[in-house]
Amino acid sequence: MTADPFSLEGKRILVTGASSGIGRQVAISCAQMGAGVVISGRDEARLQETFGQLQGEKHLAVGADLTVAADRLHLAEAAGQVDGIAHCAGISTIVPFRMVSEKHMDELLDINFRAPVLLTQRMIAKKQVLSGGSIVFISSSAVHIGTPVTSMYAASKAALIPAARSLASEVGAKQQIRVNCITPGYTRTPMLDRLNEGGTSIEANYELAPLGIGEPVDVANAVLFFLSDASRWVTRTTFQVDGGLTSRISF
Amino acid sequence: MTPDKTHPFRLDGKNILVTGASSGIGRQTAISCSRMGAKLFITGRNAERLSSTLNELEGEGHQQLTADLTVQAEINLLVDRCGKIHGVFHSAGVSGVAPIRQISEQFLHHVFQSNYFAPMLLTQRLLAKAAIQKSGSIVFMSSTAAHLGVQGVGAYSGTKAALLASMRCLAIEQARHGIRANCLSPDLVETPLLIGSGPSGNQEWLDMQRKRHPLGLGTPEDVANAAIYLLSDASRWVTGTTLIMDGGVTY
Repeated sequence: MTADPFSLEGKRILVTGASSGIGRQVAISCAQMGAGVVISGRDEARLQETFGQLQGEKHLAVGADLTVAADRLHLAEAAGQVDGIAHCAGISTIVPFRMVSEKHMDELLDINFRAPVLLTQRMIAKKQVLSGGSIVFISSSAVHIGTPVTSMYAASKAALIPAARSLASEVGAKQQIRVNCITPGYTRTPMLDRLNEGGTSIEANYELAPLGIGEPVDVANAVLFFLSDASRWVTRTTFQVDGGLTSRISF
Repeated sequence: MTPDKTHPFRLDGKNILVTGASSGIGRQTAISCSRMGAKLFITGRNAERLSSTLNELEGEGHQQLTADLTVQAEINLLVDRCGKIHGVFHSAGVSGVAPIRQISEQFLHHVFQSNYFAPMLLTQRLLAKAAIQKSGSIVFMSSTAAHLGVQGVGAYSGTKAALLASMRCLAIEQARHGIRANCLSPDLVETPLLIGSGPSGNQEWLDMQRKRHPLGLGTPEDVANAAIYLLSDASRWVTGTTLIMDGGVTY
């Protein structure tokens, strides 16, 4: 009997943004594959809902606003040493370019870029990501497309890619830690629902992808692949999970 | 590994066709797919080595056919014999080292026949005969050579880039049938093909290449695991894309 390369048995995985959407499903899927999961999110009640859906024991829920340095520190300390991090926390709001303010720019960059980067920095500096570990950033297909009315969302998610590639080069040979980005297309999540509440419906965009809209589990399964030893040799890359959306455009 | 409905990477109940299964990546992918519960139909040019792969497959009911896929009649026979399939992994291919100033028409035909014409014509025949089930998966072996410049492999790179380009069109054409198409683009994988293709006095070259890759050279298992992800329902929303796997190599 050969060991299952996709199993997360014996691994400890930190999942941010686990109170809803992709993050919640990643946490649930990781637990199903045998991982001990440390989940974090801003909404404590919804975080507990996710916690209740995790198979097995040995899990931990930590309420945290990752834009706050003290919360990041608290989460990093509570998480301890991990074999993987799935950075799923993120936001998007509809703002046409002509309405972009410094405040909007800061908000998007704080949550989508600075928080995951600074949390990773802290964990790498304190050697909390074990050798053979895997770090996954949820970027977005918006970075390849340059989606209208979400320019700062696209920009904040795009910034993750070179940061991740650079980090991968630094922690590859010596520490054997892998770092990759996933760029999901339109995925049925509460974040997407909220985008449509502002009066500008983007529902027509869902059909742009040859396979239509995706479900959180589709993104979660890609994250499982990147966290597991099945992707042992994959690092410094960006993988599109988008129902074929970006195969229609050149970038 | 026992069949487990919550395991998204299992291939139970799927018939998978693997070309180039007599050696290297194709051989390992066939073996790995059988361990995940798939029924394999394997093909390759060398009957003896193909039988040796068949003997290594786990489970019952696997089949083999010796075939040269550069011959249309043999493609036709293969499609007649393999029946309904849920996935095809096009692993058959040749390397070809020659600086552009030394290539000939005959040489170009040789590498394009095996690396581009054969997988495209096999795919055409499978689709025309409706042999690929709804929500089936087609996986082509491209290469990092399709994405970057490497000295001496101009013709080979051309075949692999051609696959990438055609794969995207195929993904869009077949999406309405729920059939997906994707590529794997590995860098150097330790296979008989690689060992035979390096410059003479090979060991030094291999050692140098190992050093260039922060995570070392790839193994057939690494590629097989990625193939399993793309052949399984875990990637049901992934189409028209390419997974680059290169151990983090930079220059």
